Amino acid sequence: MSKKIGVYICECGPNIRDRINIDEILENLSSIEDIKVVKKYPLLCSNEGKKFLADEIKNEELTHLVIAACSPKEHEITFMNVCEKAGLNPYLFQLVNIREQCAWIISNKEEATRMATKYIRAGINRVLLHKPLQKKELECNPNVLIIGGGIAGIEASLSLASPERKVYLVEKTSVLGGKVRKLSGLLPHQGMDLTFLQKKIKEVENNENIVVLTSSEVENVRGFFGNFEIVIKSNRNDLEQKEIKVGAIIVATGFSLFDPKETPQYGYGTIENVVNALEFEEMIASDKILLKNGKPPKTVALIHCVGRKEKGYCSKVCCLYSLKFAQFLKDKLSDVNVFEFYSDLCLPHKSDQDYFEEVKKKGVNFIKANEIQIKKSNSNINIEYKTITEKKGSLSVDMVVLSPAIIPAENTEKLAKILNIPLDETGFFKEIHEKLDPVSTPIEGIYIAGCASGPKNILESVIQSQAACGKILSCLIPGKKLEPEVRVSEIVEEFCTGCQTCLSVCFYSAISFDEFKGVSVVNEAICRGCGNCVGSCPSGAIRLKHFTYPQLYREVLEALR
Amino acid sequence: MSTVQNEFFKKPKKGAVLHAEGGIHKAILDFLRKSLEKKCFDALFIPVKVHDTDSYVWVLLKDKSLLNEANPLPPVISVQGGRALSTLTKHGEMNLQIAAIMRPCEIRAVIELFKLKQVSLNNITLISIDCPGAMPLSDYISNPKEMAKRFNNLFETWEENESLRPICIICHRFSLSSLLPSISRQSASVELEGIDSPASDIHIGLVGGNGEKIFLMPVSSKGEEILEKLEIATEDSLEDWEIKEKELRDKKENKRKKILQELKAKIEGPKKFVAVFDQCINCHNCMRVCPICYCRQCYFDSKTLRLSPEVYLTRAKERKSLRFPLDTLLFHLGRMSHMVLSCVSCGVCEDACPMNIPIAQVFCIVADQVQKSFGYVPGRDRREPPPLRFFQEDEFQEVEMQYKKTISREETQNA
Amino acid sequence: MKNPNVLIIGAGIAGMEASLLLAEAGRKVYLVEKESLIGGQVIKYEEVFPNMECSTCMVAPKQQEVLQNENIELFLLSEVEKIAGSAGQFSVRIRKRARYVSLTNCIGCGACYDPCPVSLYNEFEQCLSKKKAISIPCPGALPNVPAIDPENCLYLSGKQECQACKEACMFDAIDFSDKDEILELEVGAIIVATGFDLLDVKILPQYGYGDSSNIYTAMEFERLNAANGPTEGKIILREGSIPKSIAIIHCVGRAEKGYCSGVCCMYSAKFSHYLRHKLPDAKICEFYSDLCIPGKSYQKFYKEIQNKGVELIYSDDIRVEKKDGKIQVVYKNGDGERSVFNADMVILSPAMIAKNGTKELAKILGISVDEKGFFSTQNQSLSPITTSVQGIFVIGCAEGPKDISESIAQAEAAVGKVLSLLS
Repeated sequence: MSKKIGVYICECGPNIRDRINIDEILENLSSIEDIKVVKKYPLLCSNEGKKFLADEIKNEELTHLVIAACSPKEHEITFMNVCEKAGLNPYLFQLVNIREQCAWIISNKEEATRMATKYIRAGINRVLLHKPLQKKELECNPNVLIIGGGIAGIEASLSLASPERKVYLVEKTSVLGGKVRKLSGLLPHQGMDLTFLQKKIKEVENNENIVVLTSSEVENVRGFFGNFEIVIKSNRNDLEQKEIKVGAIIVATGFSLFDPKETPQYGYGTIENVVNALEFEEMIASDKILLKNGKPPKTVALIHCVGRKEKGYCSKVCCLYSLKFAQFLKDKLSDVNVFEFYSDLCLPHKSDQDYFEEVKKKGVNFIKANEIQIKKSNSNINIEYKTITEKKGSLSVDMVVLSPAIIPAENTEKLAKILNIPLDETGFFKEIHEKLDPVSTPIEGIYIAGCASGPKNILESVIQSQAACGKILSCLIPGKKLEPEVRVSEIVEEFCTGCQTCLSVCFYSAISFDEFKGVSVVNEAICRGCGNCVGSCPSGAIRLKHFTYPQLYREVLEALR
Repeated sequence: MSTVQNEFFKKPKKGAVLHAEGGIHKAILDFLRKSLEKKCFDALFIPVKVHDTDSYVWVLLKDKSLLNEANPLPPVISVQGGRALSTLTKHGEMNLQIAAIMRPCEIRAVIELFKLKQVSLNNITLISIDCPGAMPLSDYISNPKEMAKRFNNLFETWEENESLRPICIICHRFSLSSLLPSISRQSASVELEGIDSPASDIHIGLVGGNGEKIFLMPVSSKGEEILEKLEIATEDSLEDWEIKEKELRDKKENKRKKILQELKAKIEGPKKFVAVFDQCINCHNCMRVCPICYCRQCYFDSKTLRLSPEVYLTRAKERKSLRFPLDTLLFHLGRMSHMVLSCVSCGVCEDACPMNIPIAQVFCIVADQVQKSFGYVPGRDRREPPPLRFFQEDEFQEVEMQYKKTISREETQNA
Repeated sequence: MKNPNVLIIGAGIAGMEASLLLAEAGRKVYLVEKESLIGGQVIKYEEVFPNMECSTCMVAPKQQEVLQNENIELFLLSEVEKIAGSAGQFSVRIRKRARYVSLTNCIGCGACYDPCPVSLYNEFEQCLSKKKAISIPCPGALPNVPAIDPENCLYLSGKQECQACKEACMFDAIDFSDKDEILELEVGAIIVATGFDLLDVKILPQYGYGDSSNIYTAMEFERLNAANGPTEGKIILREGSIPKSIAIIHCVGRAEKGYCSGVCCMYSAKFSHYLRHKLPDAKICEFYSDLCIPGKSYQKFYKEIQNKGVELIYSDDIRVEKKDGKIQVVYKNGDGERSVFNADMVILSPAMIAKNGTKELAKILGISVDEKGFFSTQNQSLSPITTSVQGIFVIGCAEGPKDISESIAQAEAAVGKVLSLLS
């Protein structure tokens, strides 16, 4: 089939017109073989310009299109859409940047014209080697797997479940509710009493579109966004397995508490009446705030930041729940003295400081201290500390409540391996971008929410689970097909030596190893076309579609001529 | 006396000192024969002298009688041991228990290939052995008896011998120290948990034995099991070997530094460097014999470099004249950039070059520098991933610091 | 019949995220922005904590997408005037102020700026530099099209027959006959993402701010440090010299407003990073009362600046005074002992407050404002983005001070709620 290339130079107003001799280029190019038409136009990205291009493509029966204009970042997609609508494969098009790369940086008009000509010729040479890549469409399964039946998992399941979208809620223990189940109450600005949790759990159980699998764990995950195949194992019976198919996964596995035994200076496990936060919650919930000898405490110390230095981060929620403890103590026990030992008050939300003032008014003492040592003294507990001004102090109490750091849940490492998602240096699941994308992972279709990705309070955990739902609801729509990236890598089997270097550099886990053939294989549905593997392959067996060596080589060769 | 061996093993290393009446070769072969008899392994992978000739080939043997012609340390390296073992083990699982006995550079090549999935080490025991060097292949072919005699003399004195290959004269990685992981390196690779990291399983020390004794030592837990099975006690002190080995290693390291520096001065700069390859005939032999060059089709043999006459004419026009075949320098530089991180300086490339280009030494100069920049020594640690495979935020500090200094200088100048 | 379209008020980082996610879901989004450019506050920063990524580089792809996405209709220089109806069927009236420059014809060449005779203080640059009556707020603003300030333009305010910009424009992009437009839109849900302002530090005399001294607010310092800012990123004092000692004071306005703004400790440390990098020998002191650095990577960030020699000084009583033309930070430690720190430059980290206009917008929307001045939401039902009016959601700093990561999560959560509501 003969090639008919259309070359169009955009004047871009005075931007290109005044700084490059376009007519000279038009003349220069007209002699090149295969070029059917070469024209200039005032502003190709305008509506008139786009119509003009569409007409040209149809009337001149163009097989390839080259546009010399601004940066591809500005209008590559615009022109690709024009091609598609006019019936030309959008990948048989090349946008040559003669504005940012010539007109705007070369002051001498002759030089700018010369460079622009070179780039355009390079683009023409390149486009001749383009292949008409085809968009793919994949069926997608709109169902969702939620790993973790805590508050985040519960909220997500209620938001997502519908007749067209089934939700599988997998929970390791035998009951839903997670850590919130163990709490004695929420913070005042979070309002509700804990019956809300039971109500939500009932809602989940009654919802016919949510399949609850308690005492179960995820055993194996295969596939990709829109098409995951999951094997779920029962904890009660090893042989009981369930296979499900979903389109997306939300990891909401929650957290564990730092074991204060690792910091012996707090006396946990060695001194009586030193308890941790969850144990104290239980005491409040069962209305038995008592010492080991059965009597209510007279002086209670609440120690913040246990394990903060060791873990290297602040767990965000402890200052607030310690205030909650102080409030409960003052409300439930008359004449109890409460001391809060903190290093920094972390009260980041708009109503937190008010709560602090409220609790302070009840007569709770706040001591800014560090270097805390808890020792047994006769029948009491003695706390030795240093204030911020380096002064030493000591206090005698009969009960100590420790606020330990929030650490990743058990089995986080195991789950990360099964899902192939990374952990960061603190051991929590790692989000793909801490600021711009806090609920996504490098694996498309796997989301993380709640304390699974780091310490946070209940409201934030719920927001994150809703955010994951937002992403799923907008991308995984029942009936809608997924269109994966077209410009992906492909591995030429004959050259692959099976060294698996590409596997270790693929950030998206898009490459797998075929044991039988002894070669690596790219999953085109997951590949995002970043090109890392292309550069890393020692044998040059990997090519990137639309950026192959012959294409790049020919372009550069022409530009350097 | 702190040697690398001691640093790695955390306590003075002990082994078995065996007397070698009848010569070193016999002592080693006896050990191997006994191991075969006691079924420590099913077969042996060892160089064997071809009957009635002076050539050596790698043989996989079960029959103990063939051991009579075997030679664990031939005077030449005809085929790189790593390459030979890769052919055997690459495509699939090996059911037989095999022990391969090789020079340290060959063992290191095996380990590099293992990391690159070209060698499977399941059911393979690696036995390394102190290496005095090897003779140049072309010299050996023209006068095998004389060269073999000179080679055998080395085992008594281990003194430098100008007959050796130039790459061997400057080799400081001839013993166990180059087959042990670096202490400071965090080299645990999660998928290889349960695998010992040292390169070899058993090491046979020869330095300091004066040709009268050999020093047998377990390196990995597999090696310990084997020596236990053979009921060889490993309670002897290896001090004699350790002292002499360190002495010789220090000497060779200094020699290496000096000679490579001299060579670098001779070939540095575009004019001189190009001149090194004046005689190159683009046979690509160096690439074909190199154990690390395992690509099924070398980029430099591929279609990409088959250019149209038009391209050649364009270039000829610019350069006034053109030499054919093209891209001699590109081939060497390209191959260098592809494999130099794993280069074990085994020197088979130089042996294979029909034009006597000092290719191994040239690659050595670059390999030393590049490997140092990444803090990587190829082949010493089964679990140490090649630098290409992982990203460390704080590597190549010397390059980054240079750049940073330039930026801050400019900033303060402009302020 | 539920209308599937969505109105988003505010094109900052949260508004842009919500609009892009809704557009991906195939919904039509009306994105209404008060200013002449998109990007909100985030584009004023040079870098963001904790990884010190280039802020504009991080946000630019989102900005580009918003400008080009077919499902997003962007209204700049626009504000919501009236809302009627209920969830699924809201009628919205928007006033689109005149730009006087055509968005289709103008290509951002900038030829019109020089000839304009009117020079004004540039609000985007926190009044640290000036701009013309026709200008873009900063280099790199998107869209790259200027707007004319009708009050200060000589021609538009009737003071003079000046048409200097129109004469300089080679593309006929300037149109003095442009008028404010009233648009009526129908949407099914509304997302409020109007962001925040910083407390005006002038009301706190103890910090000595005002009269162009070397006491800067956080936002002023961000612009000072920005490569596209008034000094192109050079840290210099008003007199032009380089500061040798800098004090960064946290919690400015915390006691007065009654809440901690959650992000200032982190951005103050970010400032220390900037300063230490650009002024390796300067003395840098951070004056704090509580380090609010929650989250897995933030404490590490603080350790890093301490390792770079930045001093952290605890004090719950700080004043900034001027003595003999020099600035002194007078502070008391936990025991009441007084000390003085001589600073060439002081940076104040003020409280984050609700954006100017919040009360008025709340009235238009029919939602309430809490005692702190932010939009009121249903924290009580574990939904900090839902308001008392069904179908209206509040995200980002419009709801309360928070960092970028939380704003984005709230934006995505609101999209989830909207998609379920309008399914």
